[in-house]
Amino acid sequence: MVKFGIEFRPHEAYWKTIYYAIQAEKRGFNNLWITDHYNNRNVYVTLTAAALYTKKIVFGPGVTNPYLINPVVTAQSIASLNELAPGRVVLGIGAGDKTTLDSIGLEMEKPLTAVVETIEIFRRMLEGKSVTFEGEVFKTKGTKFNFKTKEKIPVYVGAQGPKMLETAGKIGDGVLINASHPKDVDYAVDCIKKGVSETGKKLTDVDVTAYTSFSVHESPEKATEAAVPVVAFITAGSPNVVLERHGIDLKKADKIRGALKTGDFGQAFGSVSKEMIEAFSVCGTPDMCIEQTNRLLKAGISQFVVGSPIGTNVRKSIDLISEKIIPHFKK
Amino acid sequence: MAYQKIVKAIPAKKRESLSDKLVDFLLKSKKEDKMPSDLANTILSQWQRGSLTTEAGLAALLEAAVLLEPEKTMEFLEQEPQLADVAKALKK
Repeated sequence: MVKFGIEFRPHEAYWKTIYYAIQAEKRGFNNLWITDHYNNRNVYVTLTAAALYTKKIVFGPGVTNPYLINPVVTAQSIASLNELAPGRVVLGIGAGDKTTLDSIGLEMEKPLTAVVETIEIFRRMLEGKSVTFEGEVFKTKGTKFNFKTKEKIPVYVGAQGPKMLETAGKIGDGVLINASHPKDVDYAVDCIKKGVSETGKKLTDVDVTAYTSFSVHESPEKATEAAVPVVAFITAGSPNVVLERHGIDLKKADKIRGALKTGDFGQAFGSVSKEMIEAFSVCGTPDMCIEQTNRLLKAGISQFVVGSPIGTNVRKSIDLISEKIIPHFKK
Repeated sequence: MAYQKIVKAIPAKKRESLSDKLVDFLLKSKKEDKMPSDLANTILSQWQRGSLTTEAGLAALLEAAVLLEPEKTMEFLEQEPQLADVAKALKK
C-alpha cells in the first residue's frame, strides 16, 4: 500500500513545524521529512523535537549531504535519534545543492562517490564496528561509537541524474526523487531498475519516494496561486533536458531565471505557465490531486511526499489531504 | 494562573471553535519571536495529547495568542457571541 509522507523546510519557528508534524501523524501520514539547509533551523534539532512529540510517524533528514556534515557525524546524529525513537528513523542522503555549497565555500567533490562512501561509512558505524575506511573522498581510522546502536536504519538516496538514480537503486533502501509528473517518475524508475537488477533485488524492495510540489484547495485557482512561486523556482532550477521533456519553452524558463536573479518576483511568478504548473506540481482540488497522485503511483512510486507549498493554509490543507485524499488510497 | 481562571468562563460548546481560531492566529503569526519556548512546549504537549480544547489547553493558547496577536485576539473575542466576557476579563 502506498505510503504518504510530508516534507517541511524548517524556516519557521520550531513550534510551528512541530505542530504540523504532530498534525500529520494524527491525520495518517506515514513519513515526515525535514530538509537540511544551513540557513534554516537545524535539521537534527527539528527532528529531535519531532521525535519527542510524536509516537508513530517515521522521520529523517530529507536530505542531508556529505559535504556540510561529515558522514561520521551523520551516523552519530541518526543513531542518537534512533535512541529517542527506536525504529522510526531513516536517513535521507544526497549530494547536496551546488549553489548552497558554493556559498559556504564547500566544493562538491565527486558527488556520486561521496554519497556511496557516506552510506558505506554510515552502515558500518551503525553496525557498531570500528571503521577504518580509505575512500576517494572520505577516510576514517578506527572510528567507533562509545554507545550501542540498535538496528539497521533504512537509507534513502536523494537522486536526480541517471548515475545517481542507478546507484540509489543498487545501494539504497529507498530513493528520493523530485518529481510531480509521471514523465519524471518514468525516467527515474527506468534508471533505478537498472541498479536494482544488478543486485538481484526487485523494484518493490526499494521505497521509490516522490517529493512533489503539492498544493490542494477546494478552489483550483487558489491551489494554483499557492503553487506558482514554488513552480517558478523549480522551473528556474531545472536543466534544459528536463524542461524539454515537458515541452516547456526554454526562453520562458530563461525569463523566469533572469527575473528571479534580479529579485523581480512579480515578473518571475507572472511568467509561470500552465505547462509549468502541470509539469512541476501536483495541484488542484482534492479530486484533481487524487488523479495526479494515481498517475504517479502507476508510474512506479511507493511513497508520495506532499511538499511545499502544501496549500494556501498548511494546517487546513493537511486536514483536507487527510479527509479527502489519503482515504482514497487506503481503501 | 490568570488564564486558567479566565477560560472557565468559556461555554463548553465554544471551546472547539475558539481553540481552532487561536491555533490559526498563532500559526499565521509573523511574531514568532514573541512566543516563550516553555509556552510553545506546553501547547505542543497539549496538542499531542489532543487536549487543546480543555481548560489547560485553551489557557495556553489564549496566553500565546494575547502575546503574539493581541489585537486580532481581542477583536475576535469581542465580536464572538458568548465570548465578550472573556475579552473583558483579559482587559482587566
